[in-house]
Amino acid sequence: MNSVQLGLILISLLSATVSFIWLAVRLSGLQGGKGKTVVDGVVDAAEKDVEHIFNEEFREELRNRGRLHFEKIIGENAMFLQQDLQLTTSQLNEYMKSEITKKLQEEFTKYEQSITDAKQMALESISKTQEAIEQQRELMGQQIVKEIETEKARLVKRFEENMADIVNHYVLAAIGDQIDLNDQLEFILSDIEANKEAIIQDLRNGA
Amino acid sequence: MAPKQETATDAYLSLPLSVATKVDVGRLMRELQQIDNFLNEAAIRNPGAGAQMPKTSRLLDETVAINKLNLLHEDDRNRLIGFITHVRAKAPIMHISFSADPSPAFTQKLITRLRSDVHPLVLLQLGLQPNIGAGSVLRTTNKYFDFSLRRRLEQKGDILASILKGAMS
Repeated sequence: MNSVQLGLILISLLSATVSFIWLAVRLSGLQGGKGKTVVDGVVDAAEKDVEHIFNEEFREELRNRGRLHFEKIIGENAMFLQQDLQLTTSQLNEYMKSEITKKLQEEFTKYEQSITDAKQMALESISKTQEAIEQQRELMGQQIVKEIETEKARLVKRFEENMADIVNHYVLAAIGDQIDLNDQLEFILSDIEANKEAIIQDLRNGA
Repeated sequence: MAPKQETATDAYLSLPLSVATKVDVGRLMRELQQIDNFLNEAAIRNPGAGAQMPKTSRLLDETVAINKLNLLHEDDRNRLIGFITHVRAKAPIMHISFSADPSPAFTQKLITRLRSDVHPLVLLQLGLQPNIGAGSVLRTTNKYFDFSLRRRLEQKGDILASILKGAMS
């Protein structure tokens, strides 16, 4: 039994009850003062009939039917609600996925941009460092060359200043034992002869 | 031209070549004084007393010989003593250094040349400077003469430097 049938039954019962009540009222109107007891009797009878019709079994039947119908409606609505919930969940998942993907994409984009900027900065820094190192290397090279030239000049100057001693030392070490003083006599005498006047003058004027 | 002997005592005496240094002159002086003392003592000694004449050295013998003196004569002794005293006080001294010790023959040749060219009474003071290599270093009263090989090399340093630079380049 579906709800339509149950509705029809209820409507027919109500219409019968109303018609019966209407009939009882008409009858009471026709009888005047004495009719009040009749009406009461009709009302009582109607109530009894109603009580008879709507007894506990019928009410229980109605409760069961209503419970079943309510459960059916609840089940249907639960299904709809479940479907709706699933759909909402699915949409929410899609939304969350798209939002998260979007956010992640944006974050990744920012991250890539940051990495690119950092890389660019690092490259620029490395380039500047290399340039500074190159300049420093060139400057150091120039300084080293200058120092070497200075040191070389100093050594050459020192060598030239002490060249006579160096060569003299070399000659002495090489052939010093072969130089005979007798062989030098003529040279010694020639040197004295060359400076004879100065020697004589100093001997004369000496204290 | 050699200057004249500046002695006020005796212009005719001279030094032998063997007397080359002031040490020789001092030694000659001491020996001469010993002989003079001995002869003076002998003159006042009793006749017949034994006495032995001091031996004379080669320096004194040569000095006496070249000056044709007789030391037994007091005048000659006095002349020689005066001469030696004058030489020790007034003779010019030349300090000369060599890279090695000169031999007597070398010294004699040198003093011969110096006494003929520079001064007849010049004396030497010999020194040793091994670091000069070759040549000599001469110092008179106020002057210094460097005739060493080192000095020559210093004077010719430009030539040596140019040669070395040419060899290195």
